[in-house]
Amino acid sequence: MTDTATQRELARDHDWQRLDPRMLLVHPVKELLRFLPVLIGIFLARTASGGAPWHLIGVAVPIGLGVLRYLTTSFRIAGGRVELRRGLLNKHVLSTPLDRVRTIDLTASPIHRLLGLTTVRIGTGTASTSQDDRLDLDGLPMDRARLLREELLRVTPTDEPTGDAPAGPRVVLGFDPAWIRFAPLTSSGLVIAAGVLGALSQLMNTIGGFDHLDPSGWSDSVSGIPVWAAVAGALVTLLVLVSGLAIGGYVVANWGFTLTNGGGAWHLRRGLLTTRETSLDDDRVAGVSLCEPIGLRIAGGGQVRAIVTGLDSKQQGSAVLVPPAPFRVCVAVAREVLGVTGPVDAPLVGHGTTARRRRYTRALLPSGALLVVVLLVVLLEDLGTWLLVPPLALLVAAGFVGADRAASLGHALVDRYVVSRSGSLHRRRDALSVDDVIGWNLRSTWFQRRAGLTSLVATTAGGTQSVRILDVPEHDAVALADDAVPGLVSQFTVQHSPAS
Amino acid sequence: MSDGRSLREPAQRVSPRARTVWLIGALAQSLLVATAVVLAVWVWDWVDMPSWVVVLVGLGLAAYVAIVPQWRYLVHRWEVTDTAVYTQSGWWARERRIAPMSRIQTVDYAEGAVARLFGLASVTVTTASAAGALEISGLDKHRARELVDELTVKADAVEGDAT
Repeated sequence: MTDTATQRELARDHDWQRLDPRMLLVHPVKELLRFLPVLIGIFLARTASGGAPWHLIGVAVPIGLGVLRYLTTSFRIAGGRVELRRGLLNKHVLSTPLDRVRTIDLTASPIHRLLGLTTVRIGTGTASTSQDDRLDLDGLPMDRARLLREELLRVTPTDEPTGDAPAGPRVVLGFDPAWIRFAPLTSSGLVIAAGVLGALSQLMNTIGGFDHLDPSGWSDSVSGIPVWAAVAGALVTLLVLVSGLAIGGYVVANWGFTLTNGGGAWHLRRGLLTTRETSLDDDRVAGVSLCEPIGLRIAGGGQVRAIVTGLDSKQQGSAVLVPPAPFRVCVAVAREVLGVTGPVDAPLVGHGTTARRRRYTRALLPSGALLVVVLLVVLLEDLGTWLLVPPLALLVAAGFVGADRAASLGHALVDRYVVSRSGSLHRRRDALSVDDVIGWNLRSTWFQRRAGLTSLVATTAGGTQSVRILDVPEHDAVALADDAVPGLVSQFTVQHSPAS
Repeated sequence: MSDGRSLREPAQRVSPRARTVWLIGALAQSLLVATAVVLAVWVWDWVDMPSWVVVLVGLGLAAYVAIVPQWRYLVHRWEVTDTAVYTQSGWWARERRIAPMSRIQTVDYAEGAVARLFGLASVTVTTASAAGALEISGLDKHRARELVDELTVKADAVEGDAT
């Protein structure tokens, strides 16, 4: 691409302009799909009555709406602002300063891809969740969108060219189909299954399918099979189904996952049908979370998310740096993204015996109480002692979880990153740059105060909004907070006297 | 490894009248629970609760009303320096929050319906993090106004976009 062509392309941005004309094909189709239930109703009514072709209006309205949407939407980039104008009756102008642009998402649904188009979503870290407040340029040609992205990210003042910028983006991570083996070990299959089940039952309810179900017929048809076999069969079927859904979900979301670095930003690309490209400004990446849910951990896997300033937890999907993948891959990417190895590899400081004991008590108390209750019921009501087996098993499991939670507890301050690790069933290691710590919370219950422990929370403007160091001895917490952000906490400290 | 330093409490207490406001809040909460229990046990006969359990619940609620507002008053404190805001709140779980002046985004002043009757107000300082808001409740109205002005001036004096 020649420079002059680029210049011309961008110079055009100063005037109000419509989106790509090919959207005239996309919008009507989308509107038709949205009106589909109504249309089906209209057509059914028509075949029932057999009158004049009124039903064609039902098709014309959505198409007209789609065309109108194209005609009434325009945007421009001028005077240091991106502006998007839309609406026929309710004129709506969205405008944002260029230096507030934090992320740029390019999303292309299958229709868009067919036509070589993509949607540019400009992320400004706004707290508003309203659809109307999103700055989406829906429908630009792919190469045009990429140019626009470069342009928008370049004007961010924090992103001055450093002189020896590497030529072209560097690929940090490429998708490996072997990672699909991790999909069934995540909870996503269950989530999808629950969603499908919900939708199905609603459908059944609407068309009255439940009335036709006859459970008594089932017991007749399965009476030849022993109960345990029926239950086992059902479980296996469910397992296969959920695993299949998880694999499907994984492939659709993550196929072709690539992470590249270039031009002062991290670029993520993924998706089988709808492709998504996300660009995260280098300076907005405040840290990473290495997550190891129990299923993945057993299989030696994990995943990595970025903590991105101005991107809150609802948009976490666009900050996944590594989808469920082997743990060594996760670690390598985390090191690469942070630019230092310490936060990922450095040994962590433990929190001491009291903190570890609290992990055990907190894990064992509920299941212990349950066991006592069941024991009382069994003794008083004279029931079979086999009833004690499930709570006992639960107690043993809780013991293991407690031991694991105690072992994972740790924190560190290395290479100017606050590092914290905790959890068992969902173990994670968070690393947050000290420059992005915008406050400290120290929370301690009466029990914690008695044990001399506190939970230190470093607040930040991205990700889950905070990194928590659980049950750390108070002196360590104060020392860490003071070392991380010098001069802030020290003005509120006193030398600890041995008496108190 | 620790050098034995620990956080001291913030210097300023909130207004003593805050206890009354908290007391009214606790009373309202307890009455709500008590009404629910009475309705469920005696009026609608939903649950069959032995009377000693009801007495226990009543005692618990009474203790809550008697103790918690006082306890809160002992805990709730605040302090503002040139570079930071430091608050302490809670009762059973004590929360200490420190935010640097350079990261403050907004300063909110609010008078609750009950608090207004007693000439009290609360000041909330927010940062860019959803986990980082510092609320000082139960301040004397005039003191709160002064504090808002003070914070606005101080936060304005430091550079940066606070994220």
